[in-house]
Amino acid sequence: MNKNGKLIAAVAAAAVLVVAIIAAVVQTAGGNLDVVGKQSITSFETILNTIPDNVKEDEINGGWSLNAPDGSVSFIWAKDYSQSPLHDVMLELDAAPFVSAGLDTDKLPDNYAAYDGMLMVGTKLGTEKTVNEGEATPLAAYEQIVNKHRSFINYHMDMDHYGVKLGDDNMFEWAKNMETNTVKNQNQDKDIVFALNPEPLIAAGVDPEKVEGWVYAPVSVMEGAKTLEVYKFLKPFNLK
Amino acid sequence: MESQILNIRGMTCAACAQRIEKTVRKLSGISQANVNLASEKLFVEYDSSALELSAIKAAVSKIGYEVVEKSENANVTIPIGGMTCAACAKRIEKVVGKLEGVISTSVNFATEKATVTYDPQKVRMSAIRAAIEKAGYKALEVNKADAADEDRVRKQREIKTLWTKFIVSAVFSVPLLYVAMAPMIKFVTLPFPAGIAPMEYPLIYALVELLLVVPVIGVGYKFYTIGFKALFQRSPNMDSLIAIGTTAAVLYSIYNTFQIAEGHFMAVDSLYFESAGVIITLILLGKSLEAVSKGRTSEAIKKLMGLAPKTAIILEDGVEKEIPIDEVEIGDMILVKPGEKIPVDGTVLGGHTAIDESMLTGESMPVDKKEGDQVYAASLNTTGTIQFRAEKIGSDTALAQIIKLVEDAQGSKAPIAQMADIVSGYFVPVVCVIALLSGIAWYIGTAGDLKFALTIFISVLVIACPCALGLATPTAIMVGTGKGAENGILIKGGEALETAHKINTIVFDKTGTITEGKPTVTDVLAIEGVSKDLLLQLTASAEKGSEHPLGQAIVHGAEDAGLTLFATEHFESLTGRGIEAKINGEDILAGNRKLMTERSISLTGMEEASDQLAGEGKTPMYVAINGKLAGIVAVADVVKESSRAAIERLHKMGIEVAMITGDNKRTAEAIAKQVGIDRVLSEVLPQDKSDEVRKLQAEGRKVAMVGDGINDAPALAQADIGIAIGSGTDVAMESADIVLMRSDLMDVPTAINLSKQTIRNIKQNLFWAFGYNVIGIPIAAGLLHLLFNGPLLNPIFAAAAMSLSSVSVLTNALRLKRFKPTTGTR
Repeated sequence: MNKNGKLIAAVAAAAVLVVAIIAAVVQTAGGNLDVVGKQSITSFETILNTIPDNVKEDEINGGWSLNAPDGSVSFIWAKDYSQSPLHDVMLELDAAPFVSAGLDTDKLPDNYAAYDGMLMVGTKLGTEKTVNEGEATPLAAYEQIVNKHRSFINYHMDMDHYGVKLGDDNMFEWAKNMETNTVKNQNQDKDIVFALNPEPLIAAGVDPEKVEGWVYAPVSVMEGAKTLEVYKFLKPFNLK
Repeated sequence: MESQILNIRGMTCAACAQRIEKTVRKLSGISQANVNLASEKLFVEYDSSALELSAIKAAVSKIGYEVVEKSENANVTIPIGGMTCAACAKRIEKVVGKLEGVISTSVNFATEKATVTYDPQKVRMSAIRAAIEKAGYKALEVNKADAADEDRVRKQREIKTLWTKFIVSAVFSVPLLYVAMAPMIKFVTLPFPAGIAPMEYPLIYALVELLLVVPVIGVGYKFYTIGFKALFQRSPNMDSLIAIGTTAAVLYSIYNTFQIAEGHFMAVDSLYFESAGVIITLILLGKSLEAVSKGRTSEAIKKLMGLAPKTAIILEDGVEKEIPIDEVEIGDMILVKPGEKIPVDGTVLGGHTAIDESMLTGESMPVDKKEGDQVYAASLNTTGTIQFRAEKIGSDTALAQIIKLVEDAQGSKAPIAQMADIVSGYFVPVVCVIALLSGIAWYIGTAGDLKFALTIFISVLVIACPCALGLATPTAIMVGTGKGAENGILIKGGEALETAHKINTIVFDKTGTITEGKPTVTDVLAIEGVSKDLLLQLTASAEKGSEHPLGQAIVHGAEDAGLTLFATEHFESLTGRGIEAKINGEDILAGNRKLMTERSISLTGMEEASDQLAGEGKTPMYVAINGKLAGIVAVADVVKESSRAAIERLHKMGIEVAMITGDNKRTAEAIAKQVGIDRVLSEVLPQDKSDEVRKLQAEGRKVAMVGDGINDAPALAQADIGIAIGSGTDVAMESADIVLMRSDLMDVPTAINLSKQTIRNIKQNLFWAFGYNVIGIPIAAGLLHLLFNGPLLNPIFAAAAMSLSSVSVLTNALRLKRFKPTTGTR
């Protein structure tokens, strides 16, 4: 074989090797390159199955709600974006601790709604009508977010949590794996976390130090692959 | 013993050079094998009856390096005029192809060029041209660019390939680095495609990195083919370090890609594709810069090689004919017009001109040439037209000899390189062991943090730089000897270069070295009853057979005085004492006091005069006729203009200066006083000069001997450094370690200065090369982190540092190009 022949053979062999590696990786991932999206569904299902009594249909908001064990806050996600009246993903929480801490609800931005002693904060994902292939279930509604609005799902490496972005840096997060929910070898043991961006609330008069039932603390959040330290109002729960 | 220089390709570091030397030295019949990494040449001296050159080449090829053959055949592209169709091209191919010695012919009708490969031993280019013309076509002038120097073209192609590889590599590495680093930059949010965000789409992110690193590995494939081959042959080199380091990074990253695919997303933080890609890119950048710098170290010799003209005008039956330089033969009558270069060495037969020989000797003033004078190839004819007979052609010309001498010097090793050579031999395996041990130690120390351990492992492999060690000495020697050649100072080897800087005593031969070597008759003193003219006439007639400068001076003196010389019946030279001759039946004895004493000739009446002449720096020669003193003929030599300044300069450099001469003490001391000599060694017979040098050495001195004559050869060889000066004889030049092309003594301090600066440069290079590795490797191994919780070295920075270390050594060596000769009379 001449020099060019050898080169072509070497390039071909290298290309075959690279293709084989990529094929093996894709096969390992179950044929889906979006491993975070795909595996977050399984993980969310585990959460739903862990506290089935806390998962209910929310007729008013046109979706499903996952209530915190203490009932003070719920994560709500829509069944049908064309039907949901306010937000498609949101937190509904008791306004009392914030009002007591100085909240003037009139000063809240547009993504907040206050009624009947409750605050709702979230975002619209779309307006399209949802057609379920099978039965409409809480998990199917979550899958819809993954499949159609993937950018609202993220993975928080420092916490080993999945999360749904609710707009304006508000989040609902849950442990990727409750069994191994540890970070840097320290048992963190927070299986679900409701997180609020404190800035709009503080701007609306809340004194963060006076809010009861919520932890006002710095937490590390991911922006791309960057880890940033920011303050949040947190309500973490251990489900086990 | 036979010696050869072989061009070697495929070496990447000092370990490669070591390996080749070791392999070749093992062959039976080899007496010397030195590899110059910078010039990529192997210098071998071997017993051709016991070992064939092909066996040496085979041994080198067997261990994975390429011996680049210099084609014995010549290749020429001749533009053709008068072709009208493809059949014309075929016809030319046919007629040229029929010539004996033509190997192949290819005529391109479209470009109107014939490319001919031929054996110059069998057929001349002029015959090829004649065949084309005879076939009815016009053989136009050969484009000189077509006959470009093979080596230069190869080096340029190599540099171009390296740059292309670097650019291709950078095209993929820059986005790879961006993809890897942009999401991690804390204070600035750089634009980043959401579809490959590492936290949202870690698998896609990993695969994108993998796809970006593959082309980089592709262009850097030689690191792997050479590196692993060397590793498997148990002689790892620099490529092995790069190959192991980057392979570890890529394999670990592929493993983590599979981890991500399995759902372990944290593995996205353990991808090292960008390290591998950027390391290869930076090393390619370093290699490209290194290739450019390496090329510059041999510029001096390339300049010398480019000096010779490509054609010569010969006179055939009175008709001028321009022929290629390769076709000039000994005995050809060559015509050189003003502004043209002398094509070969020879003797002027007609015409008068001034020739600029500065390109050979460094002497800026053109030298007058008339009939009988020697002219040298590559020197420039400035004013008149001359005809000369070709006497030395091809590899026998002075220019070719100088080129060979400089090439040999550049291939030799200085003793100072030995340490670097020893270290280079063990360097790479030791680095591999350090990398492995550091990685294991940190893995254990961090309770199983594989990512941390791998960072250390890769950094140590990548930061270690055997290249800098390998380049430190040869590059400085190449630039130093090249710079010397540019200034007419030919240093014969690394050892001479190194020894010269230690010289603390210099012994100058007097005649022709300190003095012009062209003595003239100054005084003729005759005893009563003998006429001065007769005395001079007899002495000159006796000296006619002598080659000694003093004898020649007396002959010239008599001729200038219009005296006719007698025929000599008998002549005998009495070494170191004088001559004996028989003229017109009379016994003539001319020589020094020792000779007269030996022959029991009374000097009464002349001793005082003799002493007085000697005190004036003249050489008095007693002349006896038929056993009786007849008088004295005194001869004096003019001290060279530069002698005093050069000796003063040497004193300033802390060097003691001695003068050695056969002259009597008084004469010698008078000359010594004129030029500021510290120590005079007078009345020394030629055969005793080397003993005098030995005596000085016995005092613990490092002695340089400067001389120009055959009789200086033993002393030049005995001295620690022999310096042959100016128009010296071939024997003197053969025995010397340093040859000064001019007769200017200022070149002696210049040569010593050049030696000092080159050795200082080598020491700086070695200090940097050793220091870099001694500091770099422990930092890469995490020593600062261990001791002070200091920073760890990212493998990318390690690669950058490694690349820059070689380049910095080369850059430092190139600083020698700014060397300025010692100024004195010039």
